[in-house]
Amino acid sequence: MEPLIDVNYSPMECPSLSPSAPIWQDILAQAMTGELLAAMNYTSLSEICDDPAEVADALEHSECERGHAAAFAAEGRKIGVEVCNNVDAKHWKRLRDAFLRCITERDFIGCLIVQEIMLESFAVASYSRVGKVGRGSLGETFARIAAEEGEHVDHAMSILRAERARDAQRFDDKVYRLHLDVMTTLAQMLAKECKDGHCEVCHASCVKPSLFEVSLSAAELRGASLQQYLKTLDMLGIPGEVTLRWVTQLPV
Amino acid sequence: MGDAVASITTRARTIDADFALIGHQESWRAAADVLAVLRGPERTPLPDDEIKDILPWIPPRAVCHVDVGSIVGTKARGLYIDSFIPPDRLEAAYVHENIARVRGAAACAIQAGAKIVSLGGFSSILIEGNFDQLPERRGTVFTTGNTLTVAFIVQGIQKMCALEGRNLRRSTLLIVGATGDVGSGCARCLAPIVRRVLLSARKVERLRRLAAELQDDGVQVEIATDLPRFSAVADVVICAASLASPSLLLGRIASDAIVCDAGYPKNLSPTAEMLDAKVFFGGLGQITGGMKFTPDFHGILNRHPFPDVVHGCLLEGMALALEHRFEPFSQGRGFITQERVAEIETIAARHGIYLAPLYNADGPLEDRLDARWNGREDESMGERPSRTVESSF
Repeated sequence: MEPLIDVNYSPMECPSLSPSAPIWQDILAQAMTGELLAAMNYTSLSEICDDPAEVADALEHSECERGHAAAFAAEGRKIGVEVCNNVDAKHWKRLRDAFLRCITERDFIGCLIVQEIMLESFAVASYSRVGKVGRGSLGETFARIAAEEGEHVDHAMSILRAERARDAQRFDDKVYRLHLDVMTTLAQMLAKECKDGHCEVCHASCVKPSLFEVSLSAAELRGASLQQYLKTLDMLGIPGEVTLRWVTQLPV
Repeated sequence: MGDAVASITTRARTIDADFALIGHQESWRAAADVLAVLRGPERTPLPDDEIKDILPWIPPRAVCHVDVGSIVGTKARGLYIDSFIPPDRLEAAYVHENIARVRGAAACAIQAGAKIVSLGGFSSILIEGNFDQLPERRGTVFTTGNTLTVAFIVQGIQKMCALEGRNLRRSTLLIVGATGDVGSGCARCLAPIVRRVLLSARKVERLRRLAAELQDDGVQVEIATDLPRFSAVADVVICAASLASPSLLLGRIASDAIVCDAGYPKNLSPTAEMLDAKVFFGGLGQITGGMKFTPDFHGILNRHPFPDVVHGCLLEGMALALEHRFEPFSQGRGFITQERVAEIETIAARHGIYLAPLYNADGPLEDRLDARWNGREDESMGERPSRTVESSF
């Protein structure tokens, strides 16, 4: 696999760094890794599409996600830190593997559910929260990218609704199967504390306990993400009492 | 777990809801129990701190299906929709957020095709003066359910008086929260059959209006925003204030007063010194034709020491659904009359919905008082004794 963006694990030495710069460095690293993973997913998706328009669409989305990753890297440079990424970090790799299983099965709908419903819900919600507290262009970039990711979800929604209309039971079973796989991993990522070791993206110790210094919290990011996920599932038409059970059964 | 979810999924697609009940949990303990059922017995319950972190983010949604039966054989299907108002955010500071949550819950009810929706607890308080803020209805009507709540409060007072050998006609009645929809409804129903009425609330202008209305009917009425001034002289007290938590301290109270706590959340502070007052929880009814939750939330959503006991506000929607009267029976504030109370009582009783057995925080009361009851009826208003039955579904 070609390098997506240069990987560098050491924080940039800069004597004038603000005290919160190392925190933003890790937030940006998680966001950038997510965007690069999304870019890889869309590229993979383009390889199983038959319709040339769908191929073009997937590749365009992939480019868009790369652009987002580059924008996050640029925001890091503005505050004097180099933003790392690691798509092979344990949680992110599991998410990628879940997506690749759909690719192996040439399951276009499964791919959309994983990327657009699950991963993008997480991205839209967490970027929106970060966008509210980030100062200047940093906050603006997160807010802008959150809005763009929201548009991706809207795009997929019509395809997925039409699919559900064909066979709701089958569709809901598929979403539930993917939920168990993907959302369990996302829930572990979003837990208030990383209890199973280093995430392999943060540059030093886990950033979660320090998030309050930039007016964020792991609990808030998790809550917002799960709320966005539930609302997205509502838009698909899956009964609310069913999705409520799914979410309350996730690990904490 | 997969099977359980699949069965609910299938039902959700086919249900055509007759009614929906919109509610919220009154304590973190109750919220924890709801989430524990949803999580399933095979999973560790969520720790309390996680529940407090997660619950505020849950959008309003259906929690379970509710099937109810009438003693005349009709059945109605419904949904319980939780607005997920966090128990510590019932205060005025969160009013806009909470109205938005109730609106969200109302939208769920409309989407489910519910023909009638009952608004439970604070949902009713938030919306009773703001019906125009509900989403577009498309064939769904909303009722606050307050008329049946008033009916059961009044019945409870009468029953308690009979059990205690009191003559209601010689009593001094104090209503705390008198200008609310429930409080003013109780005042209209009970004022004609007591000796004297004391009305307490925070807004003096509303108190004056209600007092004038009752005085026009020849009732002896006094008003005060200063509660302790009244509590010592009342021998029957109804607590119907809209309080975010059980925080009411009545102050000095007649030692043998009968006190009905009709709040949701409860009004009376656990630290309130009640001396030998006879306290009971009011506004509760029991559905004797059967009630079934899917998944099984018995004892979780209705946390009472008797089966199939439900708050009157929610029972009103069920009774109207069983009656096929899909109309906004209770709306707005201050329109509950004796005639409307009698009408909803008749409808409820026709379907086997009666006053619930009386109880308080220490447990059932009637075992202790049965010997004195012996089927006596209050002289002012016939009221049949409630019955305890097992769910027949």
